[in-house]
Amino acid sequence: MSMTKTQEIDTSELYGILAEFKNPKALIDVSKKVVEAGYDKFDTYAPFPIHGIDKAMNLPKSKLGWIVLGHGILGFSGAIAMMYYMSVIDYPLNISGKPFFNVPAWVPIIFELTVLLSAFGAVFGMFFLNGLPKLHNPLFNVERFKKATDDGFFVCIEAKDSKFQADLVRQLFEEAGATHIEEVYD
Amino acid sequence: MSEVTQNTYWKSLNELAQNKEYENFVEREFPENATELTDGVSRKGFLRVMGASIALAGFAACRRPVQKILPYSNQPEDIVPGIPLFYATAMPFQGSLTGLVVENHEGRPTKVEGNDLHPGSWGNTNAYHQATMLEMYDPDRSRTPLRNGEKASTSDFATFAQEYFADTNKRIAFISEANSSPSFTALKQNALSKFTNAKWVTYEPFGEDNAIEGNRIAFGSRLRTHYNYTNADVVVSLDDDFLAPTHPNNVEYAKQVTGRRKVTSTSDSMSRIYSIENGFTLTGSFADNRLRVKASEIEAFANALAAALSTRVNGLNAFRGINNQFTGSDFITALADDLASNAGKCAVSVGLDHSVYTHSVVTAINTSLNNTGSTVNYLQVPSFDNQNNSQAFADVVSEMKAGNFDAVVMIGTNPVYTTNTDLDFASALTNVEEVIHFGTYKDESSKSASWHVSRSHFLETWGDGYSFGGARSVIQPQIQPLHDSISEIEFLNTIISGELTSGYELVQNTFKGFYSGSRFENRWKDILHDGIDITDGYNRANVQLRSITPSQTSPIDGIEVVIRPDSSIYDGRFANLGWLQELPDPMTKITWDNVALMSPATAASIGVENEDLVSVAVNGKAISIAAWIQPGHADDSITLNVGYGREGIGRVADMGRENSQLLDPSENYGGVNVYPLHFSLFASGAISKSSGIYKIACVQDHHSLEGRDMYRQATLEKYKDTPMYASFAYVHKYDVPGMKEAAELGEDQPISLFDEQTYSADEPQWGMAIDLNSCFGCGVCVIACQSENNIPVIGKREVNRGREMHWIRNDRYYVGDENNPQAVHQPVPCMHCELAPCEQVCPVAATTHSDDGMNQMTYNRCIGTRYCANNCPFKVRRFNFFNYPKEYLTTGEDPDIIQMAMNPEVTVRFRGVMEKCTYCVQRVNRAKINTKIETGSPKPADGTVVTACQQACPADAIYFGDLTDESSTVAKMKRNERNYLMLEELNVRPRTSYIAKLTNPNPVLVDETNQEPAH
Amino acid sequence: MSKYEYVPEPALVKGNHDFASITRLVTDVNLRPTPKLWYLFMLIANALLGVFLLAVGYLIWEGTGIWGLMNPVGWGWAIINFVWWVGIGHAGTLISAILFLFRQDWRTAINRFAEAMTIFAVICALMFPGIHVGRIWVIYWVFPIPNQMAMWPNFNSPLLWDVFAVSTYFTVSLLFWYVGLVPDLATLRDKATDKIRKLAYGIGALGWTGSNRAWWNYEKAYMILAGLATPLVLSVHTIVSFDFAVSMIPGWHTTIFPPYFVAGAVFSGFAMVLTLMLICRKVYGMEDIMTNDHMEKMNIIILVTGSMVGFAYIMEFFIAWYSGVEYEKAIFMLRATGPYAWAYWIMMLCNVISPQVFWVKKLRRHVGFTFFISIVVNIGMWFERFVITVSSLANDYLPSSWDYFSPTIWDVLTYVGTFGIFFTLFLAFLRFLPMIAIAEIKAILPQADPHNYDENQEYHPHVVEVPKPKVDRV
Repeated sequence: MSMTKTQEIDTSELYGILAEFKNPKALIDVSKKVVEAGYDKFDTYAPFPIHGIDKAMNLPKSKLGWIVLGHGILGFSGAIAMMYYMSVIDYPLNISGKPFFNVPAWVPIIFELTVLLSAFGAVFGMFFLNGLPKLHNPLFNVERFKKATDDGFFVCIEAKDSKFQADLVRQLFEEAGATHIEEVYD
Repeated sequence: MSEVTQNTYWKSLNELAQNKEYENFVEREFPENATELTDGVSRKGFLRVMGASIALAGFAACRRPVQKILPYSNQPEDIVPGIPLFYATAMPFQGSLTGLVVENHEGRPTKVEGNDLHPGSWGNTNAYHQATMLEMYDPDRSRTPLRNGEKASTSDFATFAQEYFADTNKRIAFISEANSSPSFTALKQNALSKFTNAKWVTYEPFGEDNAIEGNRIAFGSRLRTHYNYTNADVVVSLDDDFLAPTHPNNVEYAKQVTGRRKVTSTSDSMSRIYSIENGFTLTGSFADNRLRVKASEIEAFANALAAALSTRVNGLNAFRGINNQFTGSDFITALADDLASNAGKCAVSVGLDHSVYTHSVVTAINTSLNNTGSTVNYLQVPSFDNQNNSQAFADVVSEMKAGNFDAVVMIGTNPVYTTNTDLDFASALTNVEEVIHFGTYKDESSKSASWHVSRSHFLETWGDGYSFGGARSVIQPQIQPLHDSISEIEFLNTIISGELTSGYELVQNTFKGFYSGSRFENRWKDILHDGIDITDGYNRANVQLRSITPSQTSPIDGIEVVIRPDSSIYDGRFANLGWLQELPDPMTKITWDNVALMSPATAASIGVENEDLVSVAVNGKAISIAAWIQPGHADDSITLNVGYGREGIGRVADMGRENSQLLDPSENYGGVNVYPLHFSLFASGAISKSSGIYKIACVQDHHSLEGRDMYRQATLEKYKDTPMYASFAYVHKYDVPGMKEAAELGEDQPISLFDEQTYSADEPQWGMAIDLNSCFGCGVCVIACQSENNIPVIGKREVNRGREMHWIRNDRYYVGDENNPQAVHQPVPCMHCELAPCEQVCPVAATTHSDDGMNQMTYNRCIGTRYCANNCPFKVRRFNFFNYPKEYLTTGEDPDIIQMAMNPEVTVRFRGVMEKCTYCVQRVNRAKINTKIETGSPKPADGTVVTACQQACPADAIYFGDLTDESSTVAKMKRNERNYLMLEELNVRPRTSYIAKLTNPNPVLVDETNQEPAH
Repeated sequence: MSKYEYVPEPALVKGNHDFASITRLVTDVNLRPTPKLWYLFMLIANALLGVFLLAVGYLIWEGTGIWGLMNPVGWGWAIINFVWWVGIGHAGTLISAILFLFRQDWRTAINRFAEAMTIFAVICALMFPGIHVGRIWVIYWVFPIPNQMAMWPNFNSPLLWDVFAVSTYFTVSLLFWYVGLVPDLATLRDKATDKIRKLAYGIGALGWTGSNRAWWNYEKAYMILAGLATPLVLSVHTIVSFDFAVSMIPGWHTTIFPPYFVAGAVFSGFAMVLTLMLICRKVYGMEDIMTNDHMEKMNIIILVTGSMVGFAYIMEFFIAWYSGVEYEKAIFMLRATGPYAWAYWIMMLCNVISPQVFWVKKLRRHVGFTFFISIVVNIGMWFERFVITVSSLANDYLPSSWDYFSPTIWDVLTYVGTFGIFFTLFLAFLRFLPMIAIAEIKAILPQADPHNYDENQEYHPHVVEVPKPKVDRV
């Protein structure tokens, strides 16, 4: 049966092998196994973030914090620069006899712009790190994968993985108690 | 005015005389578009009307018709576009002239100012003078003569006069307004000598006839009493409101009285003013001792005073026997003592409308006090008729009824409106063959006339006359007549000669009579230039007091109804001037309407509140009018102001009447006509509450200072022992917050979080000081500002919504007991704070500070958040809630006309922008530029910048100038210990400050006239 | 048995729901054919929206004068409504951000549409600064955009701070809301059957797969956003209060304003959320998710913030007296006894007295009563802004300029019209977007917690018995 499949490979290329598991705990367990087996091009899918799966998948710390910090600094200094240019350099006006460089009055706007830029950093940084938007994804070819946003828990090891061997992967999933296994084609 | 411009002027007038096209133009350009009027209820409709008043300004463009199509091919000398020219002229009012100087832009008069050289003015004006500018541009002025209601022309009238008056036996009744003009007087004589059966009577609803008659009784000849308050240490006014514009000589008197109260150091003295009156008048509010009595008790008071004086001075023995309710009262005793001890340095006056007898008593008192020659003079006035005019008028009317007249000629008067209905003047006219009415408006009288002849505005024609005190001037036209109209001398001359001789000739002939031959030419030029003929005036009479038989008419028991001219529109002649209609009454702060004024006690007794309709009845005639409570008013006395309730006069005067039935009572307009009740000054009457209310647009809702310190005053004595009585520290018993800390740091301003901008002394630093001891609250500053700064009239409904636009307002507070309070006046313009709270809150920096320390509005940057107005502690900022200027100026005609009407030096503000007092920045900058050109200095010399309000103020209460110039008047005033800042504790550092008020009450009477300092 | 017996938290989701049933429960609202009733409500909302457009159209045509404004009251209903709506717009972000940081899992039931409400409320609020100015067509001058006058805005002006604060708040709330929506849009994408929905939700979901690598960054981002939104939400009403506090008008110039405004905002915001929640959960049968426990918790917050506001009111009086500033004293006496006393006492009754009933547990848990109070509170908060804005301006320093403000019909119509904007948007939201954060609700189900499974991956939840509310515990 696997033979028949391999013949079909010519028509469309294998993306990876997808396995479904019955609950979060099972997903955590299999992730651990996949990591032990040394695969790195794999991912797990769940309808909600599962507590502790990052350790199981051995995920690195997110870089998002640095991106936000960068944006925050940009917003802070940008605000000061803008106001200094506009009301001290370019067009100073005597307003209520206040000094041109009127720091106390600038605090609110400095704060707001810092927050605004940081927020942009956080949101768009996250999309960037997650490679979104990505409207085409081979997994969407799998009808069953729709459950991933409902109540399905999936693991997929990609064919690109150096260690990838279809039968070994299948075996690993079966041992881990997958309720369903299938190849994903692109 | 130089010869050259005269010539050009003349040339064009001649051109105009034959310019038919121009006449058609008049017809076409100004249709009687009554359709606009039917919308009287709507603010827009009304304001469009106001706007129409400006339409005519366009006619300035026709001054030289060539201007309409070409630029100056050869520019007339003296005319530099953008640089205004100032010509002298004079305004006739109530039989006397006030000298004026008129600002002209490219041959278009835009602003009236006082003439420094003229003794009736000394450079100042009152609200009427300011507002005549609008009167000339009033679209509702009569534009053409009417023959039996049909349009006719002045030349038609001339032809008619030629035929009709050819028969010198015609029985003619001339009913004329009081007129001091020598030319007019001469023509009057001609008329009377030519028409042997003619009668001449001078009729003024509020004239000075009683005063003159009083002098006749006292001295045997009809003389005018002319006071010289400069020499008066004690001034007594028996219901004589000589400070109000309703008095023909108020500018001069105000000048003199306030002049005697300029106190700059504790060593200065000041005069004492007593006022005895029924209503609360400007004079009363300015007085040191005020006694409220019924108007009908004034005569008794005069008697009692004479009696009290009879034991102290000679000449009043006749009054010894007098004994009435005032006899022996503290007030009389104290007053008599004060007068006796100031004999020769005091002045007693009584209201012009009071009885002939009362006037004679007052004259007797003044004479016995040896005031003649020092504080009082008696003038021989050539223009006076040698008869008791009020009597003569009554006779003429009854003769009219009897059909004893072929023709009645009404010159400048409007008897049909201004006489009471009992007299039934209108029906008397029906027994007359030819009724000729000559007037500015197609008014009630012209409607029942067979001939109406349009009267030229005095700014359009030549004329002459004497000031109240007798200074002779020439009235010089500023522009050609806008309509087919003539002046009163041209009119009278036409009747006599049947020819249309120009006023210029007539006036020149008169003066040729004064100056023979070659002397004439130079004198004439000087007179025109100075606006005053110093060489001649009225003669003072040498008077001998005759014995006066005391009479005692008992005062009115119960309710008395007192009829007075209106502070804004006088006897109704100014009813169509939006500026005056919207000028708050100095005491009540009411705009647009008249009310029945009464004391709180009287109001309580009939159970009415403000705005409740009451029915006031006299001799069976009743009117329904809104009640208004006037603290300090005499009890059982009702004061009514005339001039309102006009119909078919003008779109402003009778605004909204035609379909007022469509409105709920709260939206009534036009006021109430009280002339039907007008018999004499006062009459016994009845008042009762009737149903409903009449909404009154009053600009000040709250009348108490709430114990706050914005107005500070003290008695003269107190000032002498505590000169710092007005300082914050003295008033509050602690120093300005932050001052102690500042002192430690060696700073002179309270400490602050910021290090503020400083204002360099290389620039002038503008500042203003307002002397509360001089200001008596007349409100001329408001109109002067309105005229100078293109401030729109917004209409009663908008005022009612609290959206008045005046840049300077006059706050009036009552101090003390509600029934007999003191009233104080405080003009409030923008304070131009150095740390202006309005500026920092504007999100778009539309209001900022200039280097010369002015708080500036950038109109075209303003987006109208109104935050600045909210944050202004003085609430001096004004917002264009609607497109007021457009509605005020739109004529539906040539748009250029709008520009013609406005002061070209001031931006017209658009809807949705904030505006406020600018310290007349246009005048400041004109002065700065001129100084720069002339001397190269950036600082104009002291006195070169005069703001509009300062210029107009007859009390010289406003000082303006450069604070960096130690020697400038304003700097001196600000160094005075009485100088204080409003809301000083806010540390906004206003550039406008106040000089605290002083009062000089008679120590004996202090309790009676509660003079407690206000705070 | 110790004196303090352990009372376990009641289950956040009632009924025996599993992941699939939650998904169905929420997504059906969006996927099933539109109910007739919805059209009816939408029609009413649109009618109100029309009223708003009419009122604003006339305003732009005629000028600010159509409102009751005058000297000295330059700010009236427009500013009152602005502050009122902004205040309401505080609950959403507060719930999603602050409660998130405090690990208040119960927030998940309500945060989605609380956030939606926030955004729509802020949209309503933003209308007013836009239209209340005299020259609406140049309102963009408040932004630092190069212009023909070569002028820049005035950074000293609290109004300009407002511009930045409110627009920042709006943007961040919107992002926050959208980030939360992405996984649920993916759910809808996968549930949807018809092309249009598939496409629309698909685009909205940005190709979200539920990958745990993505969840990892996602949670991080959500945490950071919450951290940013928390000071932001506090700053917004603080800055709005500066409009008054930084001015120098008695009754405005008060340092107590920032905390007092924020408390008031939370107060009115929660009330509004309650009003909407109680309707929605009934109409859409969400009682299992939005339980009475949620209602009670929110009532407690209303009680607390209401008391804070009441404290502020009293404190204002004390400080006015203590400061010894005569103008300050006068304005507060006038508020309580002067021409606007009626408004002041309505405010006191609605904001201070009414929430106090929530000391009674029975009433905290009483649906109808809570609904009533939630509306009373928002009436009260409107009057609070009225009292602050109008009464202070009407009676400031110089008695000569005192005057009485009364609104015109156009003031009223403009205000009523904003409800048109609000409900139009809110109904659209209910119809087309998941009103409950599906993924987050699933995450707080016991089944979602790996610790509830044994090593054979079998589900063994520890049973939670909900303590019956004891009547005597009051």
